[in-house]
Amino acid sequence: MNALSPTPSRAYDLNFARYVYENIDGGERLRMCMQCGACSGSCPIGQQMDHGPRKLFMMIRAGMKEAVLTSNTIWNCVSCYNCVVRCPRKVPITYILHDLANLAVREGFDAAKKADNARFAKAFMWSARKYGRTDERLVTGIYYFSFGLVEGMKRGMGNQKIALNMIKTKRMHLGMPHAIKAKDELQKILAKAQEIQDRHGKGA
Amino acid sequence: MEKKIGAYLCSGCGIGEALDFKALEGVVTKEFKKPVKSHECLCGEAGLAVIKADMEAGEVTLPVIGACSPRVMTDRFMFPGMTPIRANLREQVIWSHPAGDEDTQMLGEDVLRMFMTQATKVNTPVPYTEGEFSTTILVVGGGFAGLTAAREAVKAGHDVLLVEKKATLGGHAASWSAIVPSKPPYHDPESNPLPKLIEEVKASSAIRLVTGATVTKTSGMPGKFQVELSHGSTHTVGAIVLATGFRPYDATKLSHLGYGASPDVVTNVEMEAKLSAGKVHTHAGAAPKSVAFIQCAGSRDPNHLPYCSSVCCSVSLKQAIQLTKADPDVMVYVIYEEMRTPGVTEEFYRAAQEAGVIFMKGRASKVEGRHGITVTVADALLQQDVPLGPLDMVVLATGMVPNSTDPDAPAQEYGAELLNADINPYPTEGDYKPAASVPPGGSLLNLQYRQGPHLPMLADGFSDSHYICFPYETRRTGIYACGPVRRPMDMGEAHEDAMGAVLKAIQVIRNAAEGMAVHPRAGDLSYPKINLNACTKCRRCTVECPFGAIDEDEKDYPVVNPTRCRRCGTCMGACPVRTISFDNYTVEMLSSMVKAVNIPDEFDEKPRILIIACENDAYPALDMAGIAGHQYSSFVRILPVRCLGSMSALLISDALSVGYDGVVLMGCKPGDDYQCHFVKGSAMAKERLSKISDTLKSMQLEVERVTMVDASIADSARLPKVIDELVAKINAVGPNPFKGF
Repeated sequence: MNALSPTPSRAYDLNFARYVYENIDGGERLRMCMQCGACSGSCPIGQQMDHGPRKLFMMIRAGMKEAVLTSNTIWNCVSCYNCVVRCPRKVPITYILHDLANLAVREGFDAAKKADNARFAKAFMWSARKYGRTDERLVTGIYYFSFGLVEGMKRGMGNQKIALNMIKTKRMHLGMPHAIKAKDELQKILAKAQEIQDRHGKGA
Repeated sequence: MEKKIGAYLCSGCGIGEALDFKALEGVVTKEFKKPVKSHECLCGEAGLAVIKADMEAGEVTLPVIGACSPRVMTDRFMFPGMTPIRANLREQVIWSHPAGDEDTQMLGEDVLRMFMTQATKVNTPVPYTEGEFSTTILVVGGGFAGLTAAREAVKAGHDVLLVEKKATLGGHAASWSAIVPSKPPYHDPESNPLPKLIEEVKASSAIRLVTGATVTKTSGMPGKFQVELSHGSTHTVGAIVLATGFRPYDATKLSHLGYGASPDVVTNVEMEAKLSAGKVHTHAGAAPKSVAFIQCAGSRDPNHLPYCSSVCCSVSLKQAIQLTKADPDVMVYVIYEEMRTPGVTEEFYRAAQEAGVIFMKGRASKVEGRHGITVTVADALLQQDVPLGPLDMVVLATGMVPNSTDPDAPAQEYGAELLNADINPYPTEGDYKPAASVPPGGSLLNLQYRQGPHLPMLADGFSDSHYICFPYETRRTGIYACGPVRRPMDMGEAHEDAMGAVLKAIQVIRNAAEGMAVHPRAGDLSYPKINLNACTKCRRCTVECPFGAIDEDEKDYPVVNPTRCRRCGTCMGACPVRTISFDNYTVEMLSSMVKAVNIPDEFDEKPRILIIACENDAYPALDMAGIAGHQYSSFVRILPVRCLGSMSALLISDALSVGYDGVVLMGCKPGDDYQCHFVKGSAMAKERLSKISDTLKSMQLEVERVTMVDASIADSARLPKVIDELVAKINAVGPNPFKGF
């Protein structure tokens, strides 16, 4: 474990909440949350979340750091921005959830490392860094095989039909992965982004 | 001056097309032998000129205007020194009944008969203006509300006598460290305005300050109150502003929230003292690092204060902001069930959120520990019980108890039972059943009134009559409450309240001096006159008067205090021997109006139903029904009364004995949530109605013939349906056998 944020020892110890206010992207608006629940009510995939955003935010205040950073809420957000549009207190909920996911990874929570979306994001970033674009075969491959050899084979075979159809309709190609022209330019952009993030201690 | 009646009929607004004017004029000339003139637009210059010409020529002194409702065109039909009689031919005849119809015509003629009869029965009122009237305002209580009232009264040109029980001015508020913001942007606590206010009041030569004294006796009436103070002086004042404020709820009763068990469990008032003293310390002397506020400590709790004190949420917000400002590291929690931020205090709630205060929705179920206190919270947002702690301090947000009695004075036995009956005379059916009891302590003003020394109170002990319709009114005319003795409020509200009460006081001073009534019959010059030769000393008038205006002399005869009177006529309705009357309003007048109507015999199949309508809500609602074009049975005859309380039970038997088939009383809602403009007039009418069944039985009449209907000002669409249903119901009973006798 690589603890960046303080770990509260008791209920409603505000050290973790204050860390989130100061270090998480959009976190400074979180203190204005009035627990109305418009976010949880608006979420199209709230059913697939351990806790809705409203409750998650209250758990942050209650100092339930581990429960927050190991919940699937922070990974299952699909960035539809329904909640952000509707929040009466202008809390950028989507940003906060994504940056909490980031924090969870950086703190080394097992649940975070093993989260479905974390594996996919990792594969996506690898391809983006390497080629400047996503290569469907490699991204899905890396993602599938992150579950292990047997699981990777099983998932790959399961999607065979889709893959063939994609090739047929030229949505996927065989041969070497395509790369963008000025790959070094993109890498400079990514490096700059990383630098900004490190400087501010915040994501994006 | 001899009374000369003349009728003026308006054929405008469609009245001329809907009714047969020849027949209407015939009613006036043949039946009443009075002159009549018709005009196509009576409220226009030409129409008014006709009336004015007759009046100037001395041919007419009392015009009867058969046109629109008396509630409209009042400015047009206003003549110097007199009020014309208005027969409502528009709203309640042609707009609510079919044009050219035989029954509509009969209704129109009967309306004219009723009001022509009224004109013959009224006399020009002679107002009560005897003796000297004082313009001084007595302000009882030298706290924020009282000081503001004193200052504002002086600004308006009145002398003030300010009486404060304590030796110093300022009351509770003098020790507040800061106050809840009352000005935009409502973001930060404001500095306490008390020191400046106290200086202003002390510097004013028009304010006579008496500190360390209480009022020991109050007698008289508006304009001539005689007040005795505890140090022996006596004063005459015109009106009284009651600003005795509140006391915090006794926290020793809150041991279940840890009060008393730990010195670090304090009330919001004690916290305020710590904030005023400078840095906040725990009992052990350390600066607190974690503080929890428990809201509704003893409030909205049937075992303690059943009501919401409205300010405790804002006060906790303020103290929480003050704590976080003093030390940003301190963890501040507010445990609340509902955060109540009246007015724009919502902005202040945001400010507390910005400051990082944590709001926990839920109930504090347990408070344990002497140091390092743990509060167990049934957290509604996390849906689990949360042990909150260790906390360095816990603040109990306790509510306000009104000083509607003086807790330091001995309780008075006399009058308590009267007050008890007044607090909650008609308990409601719902869950909220406050125990009606006189708060401990002596009366504030020791009123020398027949109805006892206390000021009437609401069920929760606040001295008010109706928050919305008649704020500041204590049900004792000329005595106006402001500040937290009236209802729980913060200082911004108390400031406005003080100004409101002062304005009411000035109104009563001015009106009383001219013999005029105050709200709601503002300007009425009549007042009840009692013929003591006929009086049986039954005391119903002295007991039933909603405003305690009638006292008893040493021989038990009633004595009217005219400027206390609000002219509702409840005494007139109560009197079993009809010996109470107003110059322009008597039982005899009402009875004559009822009898003026032509009652067709039973073979005509035209029943007649008398509606006795309160002119405050029921009558205008019926007008609005006409304006909206709602039609209702033309068998009804509407008799407006000042208040249903002024309806004598004899009026009902009179109506039935002349052949009306039924009587409907239409008035404001009585009871705990009354809408009666005279507080309990309609309740009295209901009471009288409950006793009328014996009379009906003795007349061999069915009880269904007499009904009471609650009507509010918003009932214009409902009342026509109610009327039609009642007409059908009374019709089903059959014609009144007294017809034709």
